[in-house]
Amino acid sequence: MRSSTEISWKKTSSRVLWTSDWAEEMRDKLRKWREDTCRNSEQIVDVGEELISEHASKLGDDIWIIYEQVMIAALDCSRDDLALICLQELRKQFPDSHRVKRLTGMRLEALERYDEANKHYDAILQDDPTNTAARKRKISILKAQGKSTEAIRELNEYLEQFVGDQEAWHELSELYINEHDYGKAAFCLEELMMTNPHNHLYCEQYAEVKYTQGGLENLELSRKYFAQALRLNNRNMRALFGLYMSASHIAASPKVSAKVKKDNMKYAAWAATQINRAYKLAGRGTKENKCSIKAVEEMLESMQITMS
Amino acid sequence: FNMASSFWKGVVGVGLFALAHAAFSAAQHRSYMRLTEKEHETLPIDIVLQTLLSFVMTCYGIVHIAGEFKDMDASSELKNKTFDTLRNHPSFYLFNHRGRVLFRTPEEEPSSVRNQQALPNPLRLRKLENLH
Repeated sequence: MRSSTEISWKKTSSRVLWTSDWAEEMRDKLRKWREDTCRNSEQIVDVGEELISEHASKLGDDIWIIYEQVMIAALDCSRDDLALICLQELRKQFPDSHRVKRLTGMRLEALERYDEANKHYDAILQDDPTNTAARKRKISILKAQGKSTEAIRELNEYLEQFVGDQEAWHELSELYINEHDYGKAAFCLEELMMTNPHNHLYCEQYAEVKYTQGGLENLELSRKYFAQALRLNNRNMRALFGLYMSASHIAASPKVSAKVKKDNMKYAAWAATQINRAYKLAGRGTKENKCSIKAVEEMLESMQITMS
Repeated sequence: FNMASSFWKGVVGVGLFALAHAAFSAAQHRSYMRLTEKEHETLPIDIVLQTLLSFVMTCYGIVHIAGEFKDMDASSELKNKTFDTLRNHPSFYLFNHRGRVLFRTPEEEPSSVRNQQALPNPLRLRKLENLH
């Protein structure tokens, strides 16, 4: 993928030859950022602002969703002027839309006018009680005001009705982690793992939560899930480190049998060699290679948990 | 890149036309057979060949204009995904973060000797080089 330096050329080069190509390219880039849920708001505002002000004709019907995307990014970057412009265009085009009302509410949230925003969302919900977006924004308002227990309660109620909403499950797990309620966070991540068995990141996050919970059983479980994450994606460095740490912890625990200890030391040793190899491969050809390899080896040695 | 796709679209068009032509020829052949009462003769080989070839050509052309293929391995698509994007929940975005202050343009205020210094120029964060 192109680096953002190419985007910064746009102001000089776009006037020259490839105006229409640039517009199409940026439209595709914006779509990719939308699909990957990237929150690179500064870039989106830069690209989107030029796109909608100068190349609006080439965008066709995509322009409305780009307005929405740019508006949310503008709120992130404190560009309230741009956000208002986008919102007004959307309101002109879709006067009675709930989606646009939700954007109005989001703008009020960004301006910290939470009561007005809540009124907006309540109006949407009165009109359409099944509107998930408005419910989620109400939960976000609770989160923004720091009322995490209410937010958790509301989110739980929401999930009882809409069990398949993966974003909400992940959000709930994050809320629980912030409250240090690791057991419930693990439950949410289990739901996610069930519906996305091939996603190595959920496995890995689950393993990390179990590792944080501590205790021999949880450590063994976390080691297993780190291994599962590695099986799904052998380039996941965090899972590799996690495997090393959990195996070392188990091996150093006084409560394990000799066989378990030996097995775990083997796993930890394997993980350590994999880590070293990964750093060697990643750094080959660069001058800093030797220093970084040495740093990794020293770190692995110092991380070795010894019985006190 | 656009030319290539119109070439394959042309291939699909030609293939479909040839297929239709072969079908039409077969129908015509059938009626000719019925007229000359030679119903036991099989379809001439050139019609059969034309049907098969045009079918193959259409399939091949469609494969090329159908868009990008995805990997069969469900987990390989996710190999490049990171937590940075997984953790973003667009429906739950909050706006009470530092961005609201960092990017704010300084208000126009006369700076007197007693006041503290006016806000410095907004931190235009340099576009991170390795962001996408």
